[in-house]
Amino acid sequence: MTRQQLFEIANSWFQQQGWKPFPFQKATWTAFLQGKHGLLNAPTGSGKTYALWFPIVLTYIKNHPEYKSRHKKGLKAIWITPLRALSQEIQQSAERIVHDLELPMTVGIRTGDTSTKERARQRTTMPDLLITTPESLQLLLASKGYATTFNDCTAIVVDEWHELLGTKRGVQMELGLSRLKTVCKDLRIWGISATIGNLEQAREVLLGPGTTALENSVLVRANLKKRITVKSIIPQKMETFPWRGHLGLHLLDDIIPIIKRSKTTLLFTNTRSQCEIWFQKILEKYPEFAGEMAMHHGSVNKETRIWVEQAIRNESLKAVVCTSSLDLGVDFAPVETVIQIGGPKGVARFLQRAGRSGHRPGAKSVIYFLPTHAIELIEASALQVAVKESAVEDRLPFLNSFDVLVQYLTTLAVSDGFYPEEIFPEIQHTFCYQGITEEEWQWLLNFLVMGSQSLKSYDEYKKVAIESDGKFKVNHKGIAMRHRFQIGTIVGDASLSVHYQKGGYIGSIEEYFVSKLNPGDVFVFAGRNLEFIRIRSMKVQVRNSNKRTNKVPAWAGGRLSFSSQMSALLRLELYKAATKTATSPELKALEHIFNKQREESSVPKPEEFLIETFKTRDGYHHIFYPFEGRAVHEAMSSLLSYRIGLLSPITCSLAFNDYGFEMLSDKPIDIQAVLDNNLFTTEYMLEDLQKSLNSNEMARRKFRDIAVISGMVFTGYPEKGVKLKHLQSSSQLLFDVFRDYEPNNLLFQQAFTETFEHQLEEGRLRLALERIGKQEIVWKQCEKPTPFSFPLITDRLREKLSNEKLADRIKRMTKILMK
Amino acid sequence: MTQTLQILSEAFILHPSGGIFWEERSLLLISDVHLGKVAHFRKFGAAVPRKAVHQNYILLDGILRHFQPFQLCFLGDLFHSSLNKEWDLFENWVAKTPAKISLVSGNHDIIAPEKFSALGIDIFKELVLDSFLLTHHPEERENHFTFCGHIHPAIKLQGFGRQRLKLPCFFKTKHQMILPAFGEFTGNHTLTPTKEDEIFAIVEGEVVKI
Repeated sequence: MTRQQLFEIANSWFQQQGWKPFPFQKATWTAFLQGKHGLLNAPTGSGKTYALWFPIVLTYIKNHPEYKSRHKKGLKAIWITPLRALSQEIQQSAERIVHDLELPMTVGIRTGDTSTKERARQRTTMPDLLITTPESLQLLLASKGYATTFNDCTAIVVDEWHELLGTKRGVQMELGLSRLKTVCKDLRIWGISATIGNLEQAREVLLGPGTTALENSVLVRANLKKRITVKSIIPQKMETFPWRGHLGLHLLDDIIPIIKRSKTTLLFTNTRSQCEIWFQKILEKYPEFAGEMAMHHGSVNKETRIWVEQAIRNESLKAVVCTSSLDLGVDFAPVETVIQIGGPKGVARFLQRAGRSGHRPGAKSVIYFLPTHAIELIEASALQVAVKESAVEDRLPFLNSFDVLVQYLTTLAVSDGFYPEEIFPEIQHTFCYQGITEEEWQWLLNFLVMGSQSLKSYDEYKKVAIESDGKFKVNHKGIAMRHRFQIGTIVGDASLSVHYQKGGYIGSIEEYFVSKLNPGDVFVFAGRNLEFIRIRSMKVQVRNSNKRTNKVPAWAGGRLSFSSQMSALLRLELYKAATKTATSPELKALEHIFNKQREESSVPKPEEFLIETFKTRDGYHHIFYPFEGRAVHEAMSSLLSYRIGLLSPITCSLAFNDYGFEMLSDKPIDIQAVLDNNLFTTEYMLEDLQKSLNSNEMARRKFRDIAVISGMVFTGYPEKGVKLKHLQSSSQLLFDVFRDYEPNNLLFQQAFTETFEHQLEEGRLRLALERIGKQEIVWKQCEKPTPFSFPLITDRLREKLSNEKLADRIKRMTKILMK
Repeated sequence: MTQTLQILSEAFILHPSGGIFWEERSLLLISDVHLGKVAHFRKFGAAVPRKAVHQNYILLDGILRHFQPFQLCFLGDLFHSSLNKEWDLFENWVAKTPAKISLVSGNHDIIAPEKFSALGIDIFKELVLDSFLLTHHPEERENHFTFCGHIHPAIKLQGFGRQRLKLPCFFKTKHQMILPAFGEFTGNHTLTPTKEDEIFAIVEGEVVKI
């Protein structure tokens, strides 16, 4: 069949639906049928699934003209989605095409939610089109004879590639693709990405630098312009506006008319606990919404989530309080309005959320921004500018993530075994490991086999063995089983499932939260008041309760930093306030706060760098305002406190947000000495930063993930009832052991590199310091906390840093205890 | 660096590596060494640095050199798990150690008693020496003062400027002393002291009374 004839099939299907294919869909079909790889840049709800399902199906028709009489079973294409929740939707659109075109193809899903029975069935016969997650794909690579399974696969589509790109799941995907390129005879690789700053790089990471796949690829842009309006919810009375409400509940009444006015409203919160509280409070104050309102976040059970998604489509819900769990995929036409509660931290994320509303062609997207503290109104003002200029940030891909590589190599050793000389070239052609050296490779192989770099007689290390022909293979059943459990790169706290006593799964919460509960305690979860009864066989048993409570589970993670673009915009807005040239309603509303700040301290102008110091009963506060985003502040505070410690020993706790950072100490810091000694210099920046890291906990925390991913710490699987207590150790202990005995271990080193590159963004730090170097320092010794400082000094999540002798610190501490 | 205290008019010296020396009897008490833990992890495919295996023996040698005791008693959890090759290292260490060794067994001690007796180590469920009780699990018994382990006690300190610290410690109540875990690569558990309790924290090679 010619391409023209194939296109006819697609076109007529579109006609039957009363649609017309978009130019980007046609461009994708053409490129795909020409045998090209590529990256499709298209937003959610634009018909991107049809842009790629169609050419996959058409390729099948082309290759099997007699498909009606002779259908060969087996895997033809894989669709990777980062979220299990999206798989249903993707399956439906695939099945629709298959059904309408009367093809004998089957569509199947394989994720962590797939039943064992279904999995077993898939093992004998794979569906023609498989929808799966990056982790489940790795699990397929961990099963015997995987090469035969993938042999006839002609396409792999990685959906929401931008979500995976800056994560280790992205690295896992790169590795998976590197293997499939060899195993599949005729494979096309496609990614789908929302708009990010580094789309070209995203394509390179997907296909591998310097590969023929990259050469033979295209970047298709959908270019669907969407009109987005941002409206800030500005409090009527600014005097009563708390500085760090954190939740924004004081503005609850203001959103009710918005919800009432539109058909369906999504309320995006930044954390799951915030989501729970908002849901609870709205119902408390406006019980008439009962039954018309729902909640959606990652820890709510799957059935409920699916029900909520369905209810949004049926237009039976007035409002849904949600987290990033509704950021992706699923197209909800009835959503008319979106409310963002608290700063979204990034332009791309904000635009994506805004895009959830007004999905009808030509419809305008409206997003309301509800600030949770006053300073966030500056953010709102900056977002307005960002939307106008459609500035979006980059997603930074990982480099040299040896932990993921160790896991991947073990995966291959678990299934069919691997020959290093075959795998090494594949790995060198991935983006992540393009710089890997022969020595590093050899180090990793030694690590897999001996758990170290040399053999000792008393050592019984057992993991991967080398067979006589040089094949690396895992033959031990227990090791293989534990490895399969462990596959996956998202590391969270151990989570426990929450059940009613009579049965009935409600969701999962982190062990850390449960550990603080006593029997009889009531907490809010999944929108219900639940009484904690007991933990039995790793399940939290609860019953409904009428008692009121304000205990809400906290979930770790999700502390996002401003991108550099966002920080720059934010500074510009602030300077407008300083120079009194503010025009936006947000900044005008903040005027009396700026006045208060001026009264107590100062509002910095572009050429000024503000430092405030004051004392409260918590200690001596030293606050610096670079306005560079959380990540840069984290690095800068670590660097600065290290350098201050060189002048005289010091212990301080550090807090940072997107505006500045605080050093809290039990003794005052001599700011004049900081300035006189030019401690903001970029000279020896890297060395100092490195040393500062040794005395705090950032690298330690990074190491936690690395230890789990590389299989050095086994987390066990509470949900599966597998308890391996004798093999559990804390990564904290392990970190110390590595520091003392094997500091040159590549995986230990990685904790530091990751901290520099991903957490601290060393490059941005240098630029920020250079900027400060040119600014005039304004040091205000204040009487009491200033408006700008308030969100910082009330932050409880802190880094600690000390270079004092512990014994000295303890002597001071005990003096206080005895008072 | 050490701390000496009188309990029922006998002298006990607390050492920063976690042991207690009973002067009158020349008896050294050590708890929760968890030998073989590193080897155990490695045997199951978790690549804990191998060099860490030796650290426990270096620490043991250090404290033995310091006190030169006639007797050494382990208060349980001497070995972390089942038999592995680290036993060979232990055998060598016992052979060159002059003190008479005994073990009050703990929940982790699942290695066959014969293996220990072959090395001349006596095993007890508990030991009563005059008014002193030596056990693994904490237990308060009438007219006795207990020395025990099991808990791996630690204490949290707070200070001005929102400072916080967590340190392993000797935890003494009126009738009982809980020893910290001696071993490297062992975790700990935070206890909250009441007014009567006495806490001796281990800080950078010193025992500090809190």
